[in-house]
Amino acid sequence: MVGTTSRAAMLTLPHRPLRIAAAIALATAIAALIALVLWAILAAATGSEGSALRIDIPHLLRMTTIQAGLTTVLSIAVGMALAWALNRLRFPGRDLVVGLFASAIVTPGMVVAFGLLSIWGRNGWINQASEALFGFSIGNPAFGLSGILFAHVVLDGAFAARIMLARLDAIPTPRLKTGQSLGLTPWQRFAIIDWPALRGTVPGLAAIIFLLAFTSFPIVLLLGGGPANQTLEVAIYAAVRQDFDLAGAVRLAATQIAVCSLVILAASALAPIPTSFGASVAPRWRDQGIARGLQALVLALCTIGFVLPLLSVLVDGLGAGIGRVVAQPAFWWATASSLVIGTASALLTLALALVLALGRGATGSGPLRTLLGMPAFAYLAVPAVVLSLGFFLAVRELGLAPATAAPFVVILANSLLALPFAMATLGPPLEAIARSRGKLIRSLGLSGWRQFVSVEYPLLGRDIGVMLALAFCFSLGDLGVIALFGTQDFQTLPLMMFRALGSYRGNDAAAIAAILLVGTIIAFVGLPKLFERIADAAR
Amino acid sequence: MLRVENLTFAHPGQTTPYTFSLVAHGGEVTAISGASGSGKSTLLDLLAGFLTPASGSIALDHRDLLPLPPEQRPVSLLLQSDSLFEHLSAAKNVALGLPAGTPKAEARRQIAEALAEVGLEGIGEQLAGTLSGGQKQRVALARTLLRARPVLLLDEPFSALDDETRVAVRELVRVLTIRHGWHTILVSHHADDVEALAARRYGLAEGRLTAA
Repeated sequence: MVGTTSRAAMLTLPHRPLRIAAAIALATAIAALIALVLWAILAAATGSEGSALRIDIPHLLRMTTIQAGLTTVLSIAVGMALAWALNRLRFPGRDLVVGLFASAIVTPGMVVAFGLLSIWGRNGWINQASEALFGFSIGNPAFGLSGILFAHVVLDGAFAARIMLARLDAIPTPRLKTGQSLGLTPWQRFAIIDWPALRGTVPGLAAIIFLLAFTSFPIVLLLGGGPANQTLEVAIYAAVRQDFDLAGAVRLAATQIAVCSLVILAASALAPIPTSFGASVAPRWRDQGIARGLQALVLALCTIGFVLPLLSVLVDGLGAGIGRVVAQPAFWWATASSLVIGTASALLTLALALVLALGRGATGSGPLRTLLGMPAFAYLAVPAVVLSLGFFLAVRELGLAPATAAPFVVILANSLLALPFAMATLGPPLEAIARSRGKLIRSLGLSGWRQFVSVEYPLLGRDIGVMLALAFCFSLGDLGVIALFGTQDFQTLPLMMFRALGSYRGNDAAAIAAILLVGTIIAFVGLPKLFERIADAAR
Repeated sequence: MLRVENLTFAHPGQTTPYTFSLVAHGGEVTAISGASGSGKSTLLDLLAGFLTPASGSIALDHRDLLPLPPEQRPVSLLLQSDSLFEHLSAAKNVALGLPAGTPKAEARRQIAEALAEVGLEGIGEQLAGTLSGGQKQRVALARTLLRARPVLLLDEPFSALDDETRVAVRELVRVLTIRHGWHTILVSHHADDVEALAARRYGLAEGRLTAA
């Protein structure tokens, strides 16, 4: 008999049955948890009287789909234009600008929404300037569908730009040299060289942006301006917290899950989108003439559109109002809660992502790899407010007091929310190590622990820092989970800010928004650098 | 003595399987030469345990090696490149050849001795990624010394080196093979490497090894 071997078996991976077993156990536990959440929602749906007749699900579905669809189209268009401009232009401070757009993924939605109100709101900078200079007001474009779209495009367009810029940066130099020597015009260059590199990213990126916009909570809550622009996510929150209509909330949640699952099913067939937070290479071949002017204009407009709201948050927030806020004991409790929850959920996310990614990297089996990748989709199928609702119902069903379970549920829910991004950050480098160095690791007979300490950990230092920063910032800016579980005694900074806005204490809200923004920037910039240093020390 | 008898293997879609038989003695370099794609690396993967043959046997001093997984085989491996972890220092790369739990002072002594034996005193703290091609191969050989496995598999180990370095590293392999009694199996398509090192030669063509 002649033995043959499959391509997967030909790949020499380190032999790590324990890693695979731990990952399977964890994936199963997460699946069980999600099942518990769904069961709690379904049980509540079948067991409660329907007072949900006034909830107009078709209208909500239509509105949510329209805003998510428009957000997707506009964000992809803006992101592509911005990536094109950044790929071509060389200027002092380029790294800073690229880093700024990369930070969009962690900038809390409610901070951006608040910044837009500061600029474009009734008493915002633009109206103040317009009234002073021309004697009339431009109204309140920050509210309603236009405001929601603007805020989403600011965040998701910048996110799309960073992903697409990485694709443009990865175009092989010989291809660029050939194009340059052929004297391609800027348009020809885009059509022949750039578009083929970008087009593979567009469907997957569009699916992610659609899901992010479809499940967006704080931006719609702050800028929606009334029921006309309400989305499913906000309607669930309103049903639970304002109307105490659990049956209605459950119907809405079921609709939300069904639509998200359909999009995920379609998206799972598309190419995955890796997270891109590394440096961008400065261009060597620059366009000339009108194209260059257009690129400068795109860059200027996008930078103003992104930076101005954040700048206004800092200017308004770090002014006189901050003294009043920091004098409140509640502020310090909320800060402590935010920091503890952020740190705990970041560490939990790291543990979950490492176990899953190490297990996934240790197997060449397609079905097993799919199984171990499934927990990453948990959040996308069951978004923040729905997850929170499910936990809320499950906790009640299990006879626990929601207030007692709240901190643990918030930490767990925030970890699950960050898990897809954590796995996208840690998974690819771990798999690359297992595949490229598997033969050497096996031939040296390294144990799993020695492999992790000597090979994987030193190489992952920055990625671990990036992952912790992402998870910490997501948790720091979260409103979706805490909105249902928060109480007067248990609140985080975003919830405190939301409550300040609800009681017309705009200065307090501005100060908290500024503090959140500064905290996010420090964590996003500092943690990767810190862990890079720690890992360097292990070399 | 390392004895390979009627070892057969076929990749997916390969109609005629490879059939390998060879004998290699301790303290000698046995060279395998053949064109690209003739199956040289497949033979090394079978010897190292990365591939499982359909039939045949591999025995070292009458001990059957086939049931052993790669990490337990008495084999060290030196590749054309990528033999080191470039993010670790030279000393830490060499240390991977020591059993886990070796006391620090003892490990330092053994690493220093191994680096000295391959002519690399004083470079232990340098990152492997900053070393030249010849230095990298010497560091990998130093690690092989500490692993103390009687079979050394060399897969085109000199191909990435310039002529002068190539001769020096080749000579080091020859000296270490004799000094430590290794059964060294060299895969190369460079005739001068084979000429300089081999006590025993095999040619690989049409899926079969033949003594040259």
